[in-house]
Amino acid sequence: MGLDGPESKTKPVVLWLGTNTCAGDLLSFLNNNNPGYQTWVNDYVDLRYDYLLGVSQGPQNIEILDSTLADLPGRYILIVEGTIPTNSYEFCSVIGIKNSEYWTALQAVRELGAKAGHIIAAGTCAAFGGPYAAAPNPTGSVPLQAILRERTVINVPGCPINPEWLMGTINHLILYGVPELDSLNRPRLFYGQTIHDQCQRRAHFDNGVFAENPGEPWCMYKLGCKGPTTYADCPSRQWNTEHVSWPVKANTPCIGCTSPEFPDGDMPFFEHLPDVELPGIRMQANQVGRWAGLFTALGIGSHLAANIVTGRLAGNYKRDLASSRRKRLLKKKILRKKF
Amino acid sequence: MDLTLKLKRKKPRHSLVARVLHWLYAPSVLTCIWSGFYINRPAKIYGFRNMNSAQKAHFIAQFTLIFAFLARVYYAFQKKNYKEILPNRQTIQNLPRFVRYELFLNSKKPQFPKYNPGQKLLFTGFVLLLPLQILTGLALYFQDSWQKTTKIAKGLNYLRQLHFLVALGNAILVAGHLYFVFTQGFKTLKSIFTGYK
Ligand code: HEM
Ligand code: HEM
Ligand code: SF4
Repeated sequence: MGLDGPESKTKPVVLWLGTNTCAGDLLSFLNNNNPGYQTWVNDYVDLRYDYLLGVSQGPQNIEILDSTLADLPGRYILIVEGTIPTNSYEFCSVIGIKNSEYWTALQAVRELGAKAGHIIAAGTCAAFGGPYAAAPNPTGSVPLQAILRERTVINVPGCPINPEWLMGTINHLILYGVPELDSLNRPRLFYGQTIHDQCQRRAHFDNGVFAENPGEPWCMYKLGCKGPTTYADCPSRQWNTEHVSWPVKANTPCIGCTSPEFPDGDMPFFEHLPDVELPGIRMQANQVGRWAGLFTALGIGSHLAANIVTGRLAGNYKRDLASSRRKRLLKKKILRKKF
Repeated sequence: MDLTLKLKRKKPRHSLVARVLHWLYAPSVLTCIWSGFYINRPAKIYGFRNMNSAQKAHFIAQFTLIFAFLARVYYAFQKKNYKEILPNRQTIQNLPRFVRYELFLNSKKPQFPKYNPGQKLLFTGFVLLLPLQILTGLALYFQDSWQKTTKIAKGLNYLRQLHFLVALGNAILVAGHLYFVFTQGFKTLKSIFTGYK
């Protein structure tokens, strides 16, 4: 009775929903190798719904989602890619038309999420908000966990995800259950260590050999590399299907795309710290430092100048000198008295 | 009265414990500032051989600071000498007099109990900012095991930014403190070494 024929009964059912997303994670996922996407779809899972590559359309789509919800409660894996917009009556993302009304992403995620066996947020947007929830966030976008508060959402962030982070997480779910998660619900298997701790250029960092311009083969720290604050295994796993390279290896700093504060907290990408924002002012952190130094120097400098010009400083030292001379004399007098 | 007694009986301006602790936290704070700014933006002028040595200096100084800070707070409560350090109503009342003197509008030096209102405000700044520095620093240092705590700051990058901004605040306070100390004549300066003015 499975939608895709009898053989699908034994394969876990997967629904892949696209909400506010650039589709980068699904496109990245297609670069998987061992298993590749084709093998995965044929042999590993019953991918019933795929917002980008599915062959079904319109009412058929809704029917697939509805019947999965009805027939397999608690037994399908829900993957959501993208944020859930909440402004403008949630119309910034619509999955389809149901009962002659728009079925918004928010409604779909609530209904499908409530009955899913496992829920995966694919990409930084679904996991933490990411670019689609970046300031000023006109769509009122929120990550998946903010909608499905009482469920465990497995976060697989990345902008985009490394294909193997998601493939590995799904296959771990199927074969062994939920992988060990960190406190941001990311699988430790892939996000257990910082980029910095696995980086090939770590020796350059420790030795203080820093690139001054992108393209130089040294540590990218002074160009704003976010490796020290970013958890992912890019340096060891690497990218491009065949594990050939990753940003620092390509002589450009890590921009911290798996972090919960990405991208607002990682910007400017080529600066060490995020900008300092006060009402009406936005300033680079180092500029704040420079101004603070300048004001302190000016304050102390002008007071010192006045202190010298008015003779007060010299007076303080003369006074101390005189009083210690008096004390020395007093001591001598006491000693003379005693002996 | 016997002159000998007169000299000997005088209570020290700073007790031995207060002096020892000052010479634990003062160099630690200075080292943290110096190495911290190198870590923020490595440059040759700081004199560190490399990042590794700057980090080592920061890590040793930070734990010395934590110990000395906690010990000083404990000592302050035990001996009730926090009253000399923190501002009270009298300090506020003295403030206009102090400001007039410091702005050279009044040439006669006002007398204050132990610390002048300026120093007191700087010390209060330390009391407020050092715990923040220590907490954000600890969360950075133990970023793996304190991941939950980092969530409060909305991520490690914001935590670093906070640690950096607090460090700027502390550096300004230290500059003010050193300015007071070095312009008051050398007897106050001597007192933090020997205890006596
Ligand atoms: C007055 C005391 C301190 C000052 C002025 C200070 C200053 C700084 C500064 C300016 C940075 C560079 C931040 C950046 O731009 O990334 C830094 C980094 C750091 N500080 Fe502190 N700090 C102080 C105390 C502490 C304490 C008490 C701890 C921990 C217990 C601590 C732990 C750290 C850590 C772990 C880093 C990051 C080092 C790295 O990424 O290599 N700091 N500190
Ligand atoms: C080389 C650097 C420093 C020198 C020469 C120095 C000198 C002094 C002197 C002379 C006093 C006594 C002032 C008086 O009796 O009126 C004092 C007190 C004090 N200093 Fe410093 N200081 C230094 C660095 C620091 C730093 C970096 C801190 C930062 C935390 C600091 C915190 C304090 C505090 C809290 C007191 C009050 C001590 C108490 O009452 O127990 N000092 N310092
Ligand atoms: S390039 Fe980035 S991740 Fe690599 S050692 Fe330097 S700062 Fe760390």
